[in-house]
Amino acid sequence: MAEGSKIRVRLVTPEKVLVDDTADAVELPATSGYMEVLYGHAPLMAELGSGDVTFHGLDGTEVTRYNVSWGFVEVLPERVTILANDALIPSAIDVPRAKEQRERGEALWNQAGDSAEAYVEANRVIHEAEAKLASAASKG
Amino acid sequence: MASVLDLRRRIRSVKSTRQITKAMKMVSAARLRRAQARAMAARPYAQMITSVLTSLIRRTEVIDPATGNLRHPLFMARPEKKILLIVVSGDRGFAGAFNGNILKAAYQFLGANEGKEFDLEAIGRKATDQFRRRYPAAVRVEQTSENPADFEPMTISRRERKAQIEVVGDHVGMLEKLNAENVFELAKDVIARFVHEEIDACYLVYNEFKSVIQQRVVVERLLPLFEIGKQQITGAIEPSKEEREAAAEAAVSAGVSLSAADTAEADTEAKKFGTAEVDYIYDESAEELFNGLLPKYVASMLFHALAESVAAEHAARMTAMDSATNNASDMIDSYTLQMNRLRQAAITKEIIEIVSGAAAV
Repeated sequence: MAEGSKIRVRLVTPEKVLVDDTADAVELPATSGYMEVLYGHAPLMAELGSGDVTFHGLDGTEVTRYNVSWGFVEVLPERVTILANDALIPSAIDVPRAKEQRERGEALWNQAGDSAEAYVEANRVIHEAEAKLASAASKG
Repeated sequence: MASVLDLRRRIRSVKSTRQITKAMKMVSAARLRRAQARAMAARPYAQMITSVLTSLIRRTEVIDPATGNLRHPLFMARPEKKILLIVVSGDRGFAGAFNGNILKAAYQFLGANEGKEFDLEAIGRKATDQFRRRYPAAVRVEQTSENPADFEPMTISRRERKAQIEVVGDHVGMLEKLNAENVFELAKDVIARFVHEEIDACYLVYNEFKSVIQQRVVVERLLPLFEIGKQQITGAIEPSKEEREAAAEAAVSAGVSLSAADTAEADTEAKKFGTAEVDYIYDESAEELFNGLLPKYVASMLFHALAESVAAEHAARMTAMDSATNNASDMIDSYTLQMNRLRQAAITKEIIEIVSGAAAV
């Protein structure tokens, strides 16, 4: 692939800048569904839900994935910047803990009663845990 | 009067103390460097959130035209009757006046706002121990609702206030392994309490740390927000000139840089985030984006405060141990002088005895 078609990517977490490099494409778990960003994409801002951020062709590697629980992305034609909370590589995911989290989410769901807010929170917890588990289970 | 042997023993003991304080100083210096690096690494995130929020404010109708205020619950200023005070102290002692100053600032704040209801949240062991001794813990009462319309009886936990000042929580060990996840969890909790009007404002007492010579204990308002990207410092205790000089001296001898690290380049880079002069496509409405980002902004402010406080604690310990080492050296010098004098006196006395003994023969 020609050098010019690479897009600059940055993944920034509250603790540090995790990735600052170029890649061929990035897949993002936006709240409204996954999307893929290539060089020359129209400017865009979106909130990310829990899921995997996948970089293609980052630093010579084929695919690099990070699991995020929340994020925010700014896309410009030549640059993508992702703010993410606790970005984890799949092998670093603590599976028993994620399972525990799912159980806790389910318990929250059962206790939510009439409160819409509690349901939203329970949903978020379950969704986050499931995204983590799915990410840990899939290969590559 | 102490004998030569006594003095020699005393010198040996002070020497070993000096070795310990010197080692502690070097350990603190290493930890300080690491803490500073961590605080630096946390900057881009905070800076980016700030710049994207300011840019979103300009682009959207999040401002209420009637009042000119931002239309978001976190910007809602109410009369401050119930205040949450988060006190960030250190986990360990041997740090000079570090913990004392923070607690002093906290008590000053409590004293200045007498008559209001306070919730205390302690971060760090020193503040936790102190508050637990002085103030009662907050009590939550589980209640079962008797509403017949409910599907099944629900338990609601309700806060029952017994004293003006109560301790609602402590976070021992949060500073030792400072990670974003725990801090963001705490921030979420605080925001929920604010939105539910359990508290009217949230203040933070911590030691701000830009560099070894640029630091102070501050009281900062975390909630309600007033303007994005602006710290709301409501009170500060600046260190005295002597304290500053002692800190500078300790830093130089331990090889820690005095000036604040140069962040200009990283900052300008981060400030570009979300502010390009183009029409963005919004995946959701800009207002929704704004609402999603705002809690993270509060959390990142809190995280930043904690990271600075950790660095400040190590710096304070480094300074304290440096002056302890100096004191030990002074003590050794004065004991050595005393010992030599004593030895000389003994020798002189013996010679006089021999000479006068020889003269008598």
